[in-house]
Order: sequence, then structure tokens, then C-alpha cells
Amino acid sequence: MKRLLTAALALALAGWAAPAPAAESTLAKIARTGTLTIGTRRGSPPFGYVNQKNEWVGFSIDLVEQAIKPAVERKLGKPVKVEKKESTPATRIPLLTSNAVDLIAGTMTDTRPRRESVDFSLTFFVTGAQFLVKKGSPIRGIGDIAGKRVAAQQGSTNARIIRARVPGAQLREFPDQPSAFQALAQGQVDAYTNDGIQLAGLVAKAPRPGDWAIVGDFYSYEPYGMALRKNDSDFRHLVNVGLMEAIESGKYLQLYEKWFGPKGEVPYPLTPENKRFLTMQVVPK
Amino acid sequence: MSYEFRWSVLWSGQSGAWLLQGLLTTLAISALAWVLAAALGILSGALRTVPWRPLRAAAAFYVEFFRNVPLLVWMFFWYFGVPPLLPAAFRGWLFDHGAEFWAGMFALGVYHGARMSEVIRSGIQSIPRTQFEAAYAMGLTTAQVYRLVIVPIALRLIVPPATNESLNLLKNSSVALTISVAELTFQTRQIETYTAKAIEALTAGTVIYLALCLLIAGVMGRVERRFAIPGLIVRGGA
Repeated sequence: MKRLLTAALALALAGWAAPAPAAESTLAKIARTGTLTIGTRRGSPPFGYVNQKNEWVGFSIDLVEQAIKPAVERKLGKPVKVEKKESTPATRIPLLTSNAVDLIAGTMTDTRPRRESVDFSLTFFVTGAQFLVKKGSPIRGIGDIAGKRVAAQQGSTNARIIRARVPGAQLREFPDQPSAFQALAQGQVDAYTNDGIQLAGLVAKAPRPGDWAIVGDFYSYEPYGMALRKNDSDFRHLVNVGLMEAIESGKYLQLYEKWFGPKGEVPYPLTPENKRFLTMQVVPK
Repeated sequence: MSYEFRWSVLWSGQSGAWLLQGLLTTLAISALAWVLAAALGILSGALRTVPWRPLRAAAAFYVEFFRNVPLLVWMFFWYFGVPPLLPAAFRGWLFDHGAEFWAGMFALGVYHGARMSEVIRSGIQSIPRTQFEAAYAMGLTTAQVYRLVIVPIALRLIVPPATNESLNLLKNSSVALTISVAELTFQTRQIETYTAKAIEALTAGTVIYLALCLLIAGVMGRVERRFAIPGLIVRGGA
């Protein structure tokens, strides 16, 4: 049994370490199979999730279907279908490098260390850490939390930043979102910090959304991008063209409104700064 | 792509300070909880054998209720369920003074008290009937019989299972991290977050728990030999 296990492990490691089968470009692969395979999320509303009607939908998925897929079809001159696979933070980079998926379209923050393993499209969503407080709380941002009890998620970058920037804050770290929220609701903590969009999702699902306020400027920067295999600039360019055209034509705003507008799944208004940032990523035709 | 060990993460940066902090918190919460568990255990263990039914029933209720609900649930109960019952002023003060620590301490102590109770009860019930009769014949009241004769003998009999229970209590203190108590396990995760070196951090935690438990087991072993009642227990190898 032990030998079998070792053999299996060795095999798995060999598969991991083996170089990708010699360079078929992503576009050639899509042309051959007629399929664009994306890795997305099943449980991250509203970016990618399974809704009550059991359909796999979301903002990131819509962007692929309505912005990137048309660009790919135009380039290849033939219809392409989009296939979705589940990808988690732990699996998404291996899925991509092993050719199991061609594009990660979920909630992946573009960071410098990640750019050592994969390439990123332009940024399609911007969020950052903020604070969730009870309505009427004196806390208005990271400047007001010294001496206050602040909940964060265990192991999050947010907790790390708070510890470094506001050593006076009483940080309470919870392993999951529900217990942190419960502690806030009962007053064990004065504020709960996480990515703004996560807090918005939490408020949207809360029994009385009106009781809560998301406050403060972003004190961390989380730009979401779509990840693709390294050194495939033709495909990367095509993905970017699709996104740029969507931003230019208003399609992006329309989708933003659908998911994050007042009637959307998670109301999260697009700030003027973010809107300007998005449009400035669009390079001239 | 084999794993690259970097043990220096354990003593570089703040890791050492974090581990020490975690260790102190674990020791503090475990020691206090142990005192509470021992007190509750002795009391309810004794009450379960007294010749008066309502007291036996009350003690049995305590034991069955508290040992048969998962410790994790008790953590949430003491942290989220109890504070709303307290006066507002005291509650505010408590939240600023380690509410999670006290909630975790009560959760651990009350839960392990219920388990300790069974250990004590089995000790009491292993004492021959004649001891009770002899004590009563001396003219002692029931309370005196228990306080002066039965409980002291039972405590000397149950050292090995009580050691077992104490070690469990120490290790179970790690559950308190779910209500944000920054104990030893929490700190090993913290190191992992900062350094991405999971195996090193876990190993450090494991070694510390192991050392603590061996130390306690060693001390209790001495206690056991020191307080063994000659003639009442057949000692292995003796």
C-alpha cells in the first residue's frame, strides 16, 4: 500500500513538473476544439455562482460570454462555445498551466508574485478592503480604529495590513465570515474588515441590509483580472480587446448595472474613480 | 517541484514572539479552565453518588447536557449566547477586556467539568461500601463523610484518568481559535499566513503541544506514585 502511494505521488509530481506539451497556442487550441474553456467559481456571488434556478451565472461569466467570446469568434471566423469549470484559489493556477482551462474568470486578484506564474488581462473589477459597521457608528475608516475592536478573517491580507498600520487596534480574527459578522451584530467587535465587495455581498444577504454601512476608503488594493497562460500574447491581446470593446461600447456598464446596480444581486455602485480607471485602460483603436 | 523547507521562519521575524504569546495564552486558558473543571467535576461527581435523588438528578443533568454537545457549539454559546444576557455596562467592559478569552475558558471548563465528573464518580464508586459505613459509624454527617473521607480517597484513585482528561483539556483549548482567541494553534496559522511555510509552522505547534503534554504526564506520574494508597491499588510492576 505504501509503495503504491509513493508511486502515485511520484507520478503526480512528475505530471506537475513536466513541461507543458510543446506549444500549441491557446488560439490554435480553441480553433481546433471549437471550445473556450474557462475556470470560474461556483460560490462567489455575483462573479460566478450557481443561482436558485441552478444556473451557473455571474458577472465574470457574462464578461466572457458577451465580451471575450465575440472577439475570439471574430478572430477565428467561426462560432466558439464556452465551457465552464470550477476553479478555486488553490487549483486555478495548476488548471491553467496544465491546459485544463484557457482562462480564469472569477475573483482573482492580480498580484506581482502571481505574475511570475501566469499572465493577466487588464483589470475588470476593482475592490479593496473597507469596514463594515452598524449604521451610525463613529468609525469612518482606517483612521478611526485605534483602540477599537476590529474583526478580520484569519490569514487575510487585511488583518496583516491592520496589524502593521494600526498597532493600537484590537484585532479579533475569525476563521469564517459568518462568525465575524455575528460578532459585529452583537457588539463583540465595533467593525469588520474585508474586501469591500465581500462586505457588500454580506450586507445584501443580511436580514436587514439597512442596518449596516460600508465605510472608509480602500486601504488595500485588489484589482481583479483574468488569468491566462504565460507567454501567449496573441490570446492575451484578444482577451484585452474583448474587454476594451465592452468598456468602450457601454456593454461593460450594462453588465455592471445588471449585477451591481441598485436592483442587482449585490448592489455596489461604481465609483467615479474606478470608472475613470477602467476607461483609461482602453488604448486607442 | 519538491517542498522546500525553510526552518528559519520559526525564529526569524516575529514568529518566536508569536509562538511564545500563543503558548502563554494556551497555558492561561487551560490552567483556569482546569481549575473550573476540577471544581465542577468534584462537586458533580460527588453529588451523583449521594443518597438524595434530586441532587443526583441535577448532577446527572449537568453531566449529560454538557458532555454530549460538541465543544465547538459550547464555544459559540459562551461567546455569542451569554453576553446578551448580561447587563449592558458590564457587557461593554467585558468586550474590551478579553470577552473571547473568558468565553473560551468557561466553554472549556464547563465541558471538561462534565467529563471530569464521570472520572470522579467512578473513583467514588470504586471505594468499598464499608468505607462509607465506617465513616458514618464515626458519627460524621453525609457532607463530612464526603469531604473528609470519600472525596480525598477518590482523588487519589483517579489520577491516571484525570491526567488523561487534563491532557485533552489542554489540546482542546485550540478550539477557542474559532472565537478569535489567539492561542498556540492560532499563532502557528499566523506564521503560515506570513511565511507560506505551513509544514514548519505546524511542526512547531506540534512539538510544543507534545512537550507540554509530556511534561504534564510526567508530573502527574509523580503525583500518582506519591499519593497512591498502599493496599488499595495493585500497582503494575510493583
